[in-house]
Amino acid sequence: MMSDQQIIELCAKHDRKAQQVLYDKYSRLLLGVCLRYATDKAEAEDILQDSFLKIFYSIKDFTGSGSFIGWLRKVAVNTSITHYHKNLKYRYHIEIEEYVSVETGVTSFEEDYFTSDELYKVLNELPTGYRMVFNLYAVEGYKHKEIAEMLGIDTNTSKSQYSRAKVVIREKLEMLGKLKSSYSEND
Amino acid sequence: MKTKRQNINLRELFRKKLEYAEVIPDAAVKSMLMRRVARKEFMRFNPARLNIYYIGGILITGITTAVIFFSESQNSARLNPISISGKLNKTDTSSYIEVHVALPIKAETANSNAIQNESMRSAEVSRLPERSKTEDSKAMGSYKNSNPIPTGISSSFSKNGLFGEVAPDKRKLQSEFKPEVILIDPNTSAGCAPLKVVFHNKSTSYDSCRWTFGDGGYSDQKDPEWIFDVEGEYKVVLDVFSHGGHLSSTASITVHPRPQAHFEIAPGKAVLPDDEIHFLNYSINAVQFKWDFGDGFTSEFFEPRHTYSKFSNYNVRLVVYSDWGCSDSLTVLNAFSGSEYFIAFPNAFIPNTQGPSGGYYSSKSDEAAQVFHPSYSGVSDYQLKIFSKLGIQIFESYDINLGWDGYNIGQLCEPGVYIWKVRGKFRNGEPFIKMGDVTLLKN
Repeated sequence: MMSDQQIIELCAKHDRKAQQVLYDKYSRLLLGVCLRYATDKAEAEDILQDSFLKIFYSIKDFTGSGSFIGWLRKVAVNTSITHYHKNLKYRYHIEIEEYVSVETGVTSFEEDYFTSDELYKVLNELPTGYRMVFNLYAVEGYKHKEIAEMLGIDTNTSKSQYSRAKVVIREKLEMLGKLKSSYSEND
Repeated sequence: MKTKRQNINLRELFRKKLEYAEVIPDAAVKSMLMRRVARKEFMRFNPARLNIYYIGGILITGITTAVIFFSESQNSARLNPISISGKLNKTDTSSYIEVHVALPIKAETANSNAIQNESMRSAEVSRLPERSKTEDSKAMGSYKNSNPIPTGISSSFSKNGLFGEVAPDKRKLQSEFKPEVILIDPNTSAGCAPLKVVFHNKSTSYDSCRWTFGDGGYSDQKDPEWIFDVEGEYKVVLDVFSHGGHLSSTASITVHPRPQAHFEIAPGKAVLPDDEIHFLNYSINAVQFKWDFGDGFTSEFFEPRHTYSKFSNYNVRLVVYSDWGCSDSLTVLNAFSGSEYFIAFPNAFIPNTQGPSGGYYSSKSDEAAQVFHPSYSGVSDYQLKIFSKLGIQIFESYDINLGWDGYNIGQLCEPGVYIWKVRGKFRNGEPFIKMGDVTLLKN
């Protein structure tokens, strides 16, 4: 088994074997990242491919400061954003709905009630803009200001999209929860 | 979903569940990616690989060569002798192409073959670029060996850069497209039955997994523990499912048969230390034996014999080993507790009329029953007294090997009934006192 350091060095020399090892080692984690930003798995796999191309060709820029996994994730996130920009014109739409500023309904969730598969599905069904902002803010932990810069939107748009995304997600989870509990009752 | 223990808000929920979640990509993604990488590599200038620049260079060289040759052959009826110096540069590790195009050379030194072969050569030239494209390292070799190559081209190719590496590299790529990720990490891969194996699933995040242990058992746990009861070769399969993706990994577990230690002690009611003990070995699947007789002596024979120096409670232990180092043991606690201790006397004997024998006997020498003595086993202390009918003691012995020969102070006693009394201790500590009568017979 090669260490990350060896893989990085060989990949910088465009060693194909090392590239494959790198892919085998991290493709699953990175697809997990990409899937959060995509509408479906096929799209996520497209982004994954682009991410790996970027990784292979700019691995020499990885300075070694900070974690390698963190760098890989960042590349995947950035690729997802690039992808989002590229496809913006095809799918950019904002659903006209009431802006609910007060968070109603369930505010807390039991951690293991939903599988990661279900959470992915909820994310995939979100409008693209919501999904980007929600992922970047909630999961990646960027600030609204940074997100606004990355996505080329206004800071306030980022904030409002985030809270709207939360409302939609909450509704979806509640629905899913009811569905699941009715299943378990039937059992 | 309603509030139960450990509730967290939406942001934490997604972060916890999805920040390091893993999803298994389709196998096709990898092959497509590697094709894209290969394409990109091909377009990128890299002196170490065959790429578009080399191909282009070779094409241009070839065409130039052809054009020069044709114009040359058409312009002059006479042809130039050609010398090619195509040497392989083996020592130089950096790869490069060196193409020297020398201008038409020496007019008059034509050799006749050259003219005859003219058309042949032109064919050779036009084929050159095509050959190169086949990326076959042999093409280079045959190019070098075919001596009549037109025009003064001296080309030297570094072998490993251009053709040597590319072809096998490509083959290698294709074979490695199959994603083989090892996800199973068992704590052991071989052992003795029943073998307990703790499996570790190395994938960090997924939706569900299914272990198939190859003996009909399965588990959905992440890191299951499984006990293989029966010997054999088991192929353990781990299927990991995540978001529609599926990853499979196998591992092989070898379970060796365990030997069985089994033995018997003969004689069944042995008396220590008098009896020599035979250990009868009934062990199965064993090749190596270690006996511990319990008195500090050991043996590695298959069926050893052992004589104990004294009576005691001995624990006899047998450890057996199989070819694979599997072991089993059997210990018999207090192996000789069931031994038989006894002392018994006959009720008649026929003294030797030829004179006193002294009374020492052995079972062999006393077949005629000339000495009154006990049959016994496991006796340590012993005192025998013989009395006449009148109650007078006429014989006494403290040695069990010394019996009464029927004489009293050198005189053969009268035939008749005598009384005997014996007291003593068995070797297991049990005392005994016995009395009886014996008839002295005369033949």
